[in-house]
Amino acid sequence: MPNVGAELASVPFGKMIYDMASAIARSQVALDTASIQLVQVLARTTFDYVPDVVETLLPNPRQVKGANGAPLMDDDGNPVMITGVLVQTDVGTAFPLTLLQAGVNPTFYAFTNSTIEVKMSITSTQESSNTLSVGVSVSASADFLFASGSVSSHVNFTSSNKYSYSVTGSSSMSTTLAPVPPPKNMMPRFFLVNAIDISKISISQS
Amino acid sequence: MAFQMYMVVFHGEFSQGTSRAVQQHIHKLNGFTLMVMKTGIIVAFDDSLVPAVQGHPGVKMVGGVTLSPHGYAADRLQRIFAENLSKQIQIKTE
Repeated sequence: MPNVGAELASVPFGKMIYDMASAIARSQVALDTASIQLVQVLARTTFDYVPDVVETLLPNPRQVKGANGAPLMDDDGNPVMITGVLVQTDVGTAFPLTLLQAGVNPTFYAFTNSTIEVKMSITSTQESSNTLSVGVSVSASADFLFASGSVSSHVNFTSSNKYSYSVTGSSSMSTTLAPVPPPKNMMPRFFLVNAIDISKISISQS
Repeated sequence: MAFQMYMVVFHGEFSQGTSRAVQQHIHKLNGFTLMVMKTGIIVAFDDSLVPAVQGHPGVKMVGGVTLSPHGYAADRLQRIFAENLSKQIQIKTE
């Protein structure tokens, strides 16, 4: 008789879990390495950052010109003036800023959920058949001097047993990869020292 | 199947030709260029296309990036990304 318990016990769960965990660990190291390389790229990539642009609106009075280009005068003989506006732009000094400082962070990934699924199907069939045939033949003859008779019998017995046993199994492994915030130990710390007002120097960390 | 931001780093020294070729390659894959720099470009495309982008000869590495709101110029970058994105998106009306 098939022993289902023994078949299940023969499934190498321990090895499967170890292989999967090992593969996840190797993948995690590779992903972290790639993310750390990206941190270095982001820390080296700079662009010129313009901190501010000041636009100042200044008065720009102009005299209105008439049809022939001559200054237009009102009824009292005074020139017609419009206020006008002059936009003075003052672009702050640009300084290099890295993408990391600017706010571009590398994405780190982590395996959040892993599943191992094993499906097993055990089929066992047993078929027995027995055939018994018995035959008896009797013959008798008689004539003038003597008589004779014969009896013969035969027994045929056939026995057959068919036995089949099959085990099929399948396994599947799945894992979920999710983006996670950068680990603190893998990201540089930024200190901002605000020394605009010397009497109120403040330091903040992000 | 999800759109994500990636930093695509070029091989070697900056080359205008390489930069354009990589951008066109990403555009053909229905991706978008958000910002161009000398060392690489910041782009957005479907995460299933990372191997296809990585396979371009001008590409050294592809890595996912996110925009931190605490960054010194995060709001400016966001505006730059949005402006560049708007130039590449065609709104189809029926």
